[in-house]
Formats: sequence, C-alpha cells, structure tokens
Amino acid sequence: MSAWSFYISTLVVYFGVDLLSGISLNLQYGYAGVINFGYIIFQAVGAYAAAVVTLGPSGGAASFQQYVFGANLPFPLPLLVAAAAGAVLAAVVGAFSMRRMRRDYQAAVLLIVSLIAIQVVEADVPLFNGSNGLTGVPRPLLWLPLSLQGYQWAYAAWVLALGGAVYLLVRWLSHSPWGRALRAMRDQEDAATALGLNITAMRMQVFIIGGAIAGLSGGLLVEYIGAWSPDAWGYAETFVIFTAIFVGGVGNYRGVLLGVLLVPIIFLELPRFLPQIGYPGLTDSLEWIVIGLLWMLCLLLRPRGLLPERRFLARPEPTRDSA
Amino acid sequence: MWATLVSAIAFGVVLASIIAIAAMGFTIQFGLTNVLNLSFGSIMTVGAFAAYLGLEQGINAWYGLVVGGLTGAVVTLVLGRGVFRLYARRGAKLFEMMMVTLGLGLVIDYTVQAISRNNVYQFTVLQAAPLRFGPIIVTPTQLIVIALGAAIFLALEGLLRFSRIGKALRAMAAEPSLARSCGIRTGQVVIVTWLLSGFLCGLAGVVYIINSQSVGYTTGQDFLPLVVAAAILGGVGSPGGAAAAALLMGVVTQVVAAFGSAEYSTVAGFGILVVVLLTRPSSVLSRGSAETRLTI
Repeated sequence: MSAWSFYISTLVVYFGVDLLSGISLNLQYGYAGVINFGYIIFQAVGAYAAAVVTLGPSGGAASFQQYVFGANLPFPLPLLVAAAAGAVLAAVVGAFSMRRMRRDYQAAVLLIVSLIAIQVVEADVPLFNGSNGLTGVPRPLLWLPLSLQGYQWAYAAWVLALGGAVYLLVRWLSHSPWGRALRAMRDQEDAATALGLNITAMRMQVFIIGGAIAGLSGGLLVEYIGAWSPDAWGYAETFVIFTAIFVGGVGNYRGVLLGVLLVPIIFLELPRFLPQIGYPGLTDSLEWIVIGLLWMLCLLLRPRGLLPERRFLARPEPTRDSA
Repeated sequence: MWATLVSAIAFGVVLASIIAIAAMGFTIQFGLTNVLNLSFGSIMTVGAFAAYLGLEQGINAWYGLVVGGLTGAVVTLVLGRGVFRLYARRGAKLFEMMMVTLGLGLVIDYTVQAISRNNVYQFTVLQAAPLRFGPIIVTPTQLIVIALGAAIFLALEGLLRFSRIGKALRAMAAEPSLARSCGIRTGQVVIVTWLLSGFLCGLAGVVYIINSQSVGYTTGQDFLPLVVAAAILGGVGSPGGAAAAALLMGVVTQVVAAFGSAEYSTVAGFGILVVVLLTRPSSVLSRGSAETRLTI
C-alpha cells in the first residue's frame, strides 16, 4: 500500500496549498470584494523566489538552466522569501490596480496582468529559464532521519500545520474590526468612505496580505514538487480556486475548506483514475471544460455557495446578569 | 535608425489594424450591454477555426473572412440571448456577469482544444512577393490587413453616425430607459449589437491568423489583453477611441520590439494602459452605489 500512502500524502500537500490559496482569495473577494483574476502570478512568484534561493548560484547561460539571483538559503528562509516576493509583487501590481475604479475594470486589468506575466516569463529566458522552467529544486531538511514515506507525511503535516495557522490567523483578522470595515467597503463603498474609511489603503492591505499568502503557498508547492514552469500557472489555474470558493461558500471560511476539498480533489485528481479516453491530453481538456461548466452552474444556481456567508444582524447586546 | 523606426511603425500599423477591428467590436458590445465579455478572445478563436475549416473545404480566402465573421456573429448572438440573458434575469450584476463570461471562455477554449487535438495548424493564404516602399517592406497581405482595418473603421463610424439603427444604438448606449421611452425597440438594438460585435470579433480572429499564419486554441486568448486594454484606453463605447488606442498600442509595441527587447513589447503596450490608469483615472472611476446596469 506504499503507493497509496504516497498518493494520499501528495493529495494532503495539494489540499494544504489549495487551502492557502482559497483563504487568500476569500479574504480578497469574499471579504473585501477585490476580484483578483491574477491570483496565480502571486503564487508563481513565490514559487520562483523560493526556487532561486534554494538552487544555489546560477551557472549562467552555459548551464542547463539559468535564473536570476541564485542563493543557497537554509530552510525555512526560502518560504519567508516566497511570502515576501508575493507581498512585493502585490504592492507593485496593487499600486496601479487597487485605485478607485469600477470592479469589472479592475478584474479585467488583473487578468491582463496575469496573461502578460506568463508571456514575459516564457520569452525572457535569463529570468526564470523561460518556458522550460526551473527543475531540481532540493527538498528541505532531507537529512532528517525519516524513511521516504515518513518524510512524505512529515511534509504533508508541515503544510497542513501552516495552512491551519494561516486559516486561524486570517479568520481572526476577518472577524476583527478591520474585517468588518472590509465588508462595509465591499457592500457599500460610498457609505464606507463617508464613515472615513480609506478604501484604497484597505484594498492595498488586503491585496498585499493575500499576495504574501499566495507566495507562501507557491513556496510550499515548489519545495514539494521540485520544479516550476509556466505550465504550472496558466491563467486558468486561478479559476480552479475561484470555483472552489464559489462551490464552498463566498465569505465563509468553512465553505472555503469544503470547496477546496471538493473541487481540486474531485475534479482534478479523481479523473486520473478514470480510464484514458481518446488521444493523450483529451482528459485534461475535458477536466477544464467540467471546471468551466461547474463555475457557470454555481453562478447560476447558488451564487453564494453551499455554505453561504452568515448574515450579521444588529441585535442588542445580551445583558450580563441574564447570562 | 530611421529605416528601422519607419518599418517598425509600419508593422505597428498592421498590428493596430487587427487590434482595432477586435477592439471596436469589444467596445460596442461593452458600451451598449455593459457585459465585459472576457470570452471575446475565445469567440475570436472560434471564428478563426471556422475560417480554417472553410479553407480546408476549398473556399476562397475572402469568403473565409465572411465565414469567420458570420460564425462570430451567430455564436455571440446565441450566447448573448441564451446564456447571458439567463444570468441577467436571475439578477447577476456587472462583475458576476464578467465571471460568467470567463467561465464560458474557459469552456469554449478547452472545447476547441479538445476538438483541435491541442495542435497548432498552418493557415497560409494570400502569399505574394513583398513590396518595397523606400525603407518599408510589406507583404500584400499586410496591406490588405491595413486596408481592411481602415475600411471597417470608416464603415462603422458611418453606420453609427448616419444610419437609423446606428443612432438608436448610440442613444441606447447613453441611456437605455430614455431610449426605450422614445420608442426605440431596445430588444432589436441589443440583437443588432450582439450580431455586429460578434461579426467584428470573428472577423478579427480571421485577420489575426491571416497575419500570423497559424491557428491554435490559445490564438484569441493570447490576443485578448491588447484588445481589452485598447477598449478601456479608448474609452468604453467609442469605436473611434478604440481605433486610436489600437494605433497607439500597435505602434508602441512594434517600436519597442524593434529597438528594445521583443520579450517586453506586449508589456510596453500594456504600460500605456497603466500610465493612463495612474494619470487619468476619471475614465475608469467607479460610480459607487449608482452602478451601471446590464442591458441584454
């Protein structure tokens, strides 16, 4: 059953990574109403950043892969670098996209950024080795006295632990006064402005926090799979996570858990067990068609997801002596 | 130096003609229906593949343009009346509708991928010896692309300015409820909008592959950033603005490719949009709670 154990532990790692993505997007879209159609580039930059600071100095154009700024940082520094890279990219992109503009324009601009980023990385080979991508990223802490299987599960546990920690942290943030301000901004932008909330600053905060979480998820992913290339971050990947939070529930962290469990696992992993049909690659196309249809169906039937956001009603505080 | 610049500008005008055809369709559709249609690129791909299949059947390349345009028109109308209206009736707002169009784009793209077996197909028509005008070397195909872009721009401006349906279209884009109470048949105008913008979309797809000489399932989606950027830059709902923005972006893209690095030429085109977002944000300001409504 070793193959099964390996497979399940891999699924757990993917679940943890997708959970981080779901949390990030839910904070941005579910709470703040920022439609980040370029989410995947923040995960990608985290993955690239973590890869180049673990791969060691680049051998230049002569070696089999070239990249900028090679370094050999010990675990867990690459993850911090990944999160920082996500945050920095978010600050740069946010500087022109988080200003006050129509939300549909904003989303279109972010989608354009995502489409162009991939063209640039593919064309500019010295940056991150172009469309071949980076390979041979070493796994962290391999000296630990663990069997291959033990290491697998230890890594899965580590990803889950980080996912859980971020989950609790972001849920706490969302329930804080700051989180309430975010929802006010999402639902009634004018009223929120009238109350003195700085809309642009709040959007920037959400965007940068989300970017950092995305970068972290990319770092965790690249340290696990050991390679990263433009194939891994097509614009459509963003929509798997969006579909997950649409299915699960927008603005509800339990819904995010449910959606992340259902969508990437059931619709992208289970088809691996189905018999191969047609020519190689047809199954992949069909998977994406199903994701797209599921996405449209969710918007039609349950726009707020299976576990919708709970309504907060204004009611008087219970008096102390009654409790 | 000068020769490089002049020929880069010439290539820019060719690219601009293609962007302009698509961006004019996009901006008419967006300006009137308020649907920011991100499946536009996918429908371009469908139009392009329709022309490819037509050519395989042995039809003339000129009819290929018509086949692509008509395919785009029919597909857009079916999607507009069938899919988008369904969501609008269920109370979808602007950005929900945009998400619907994205999911739809995903479905169309990967259906095309499944059918085309993920191959890129050669599309070679109108091959002829290049012509030389001083420093500029252009192929007759490129001249035709420029002429087509200019002709469509003039035809569209004429239609919108002088014809009855064009005036109705502009009136409705400005204020749908007022147009309706003036006796304009808004339902018909919407149908015309879907057909017209879809035709331009499919046509742009064919013109694009005539120029690039290959077609694959990502053809339209790769081109979409330039189209949407030109439409937003030119001011939504204004074909003239879209054409001007397309010209600017086409020329800047090619000049950067000639003098700087080819990798960053698209980024430079997009950079113009970013500069505009930073310096003249009034064109894209949110109107707060008084949000624009869908008219489909």
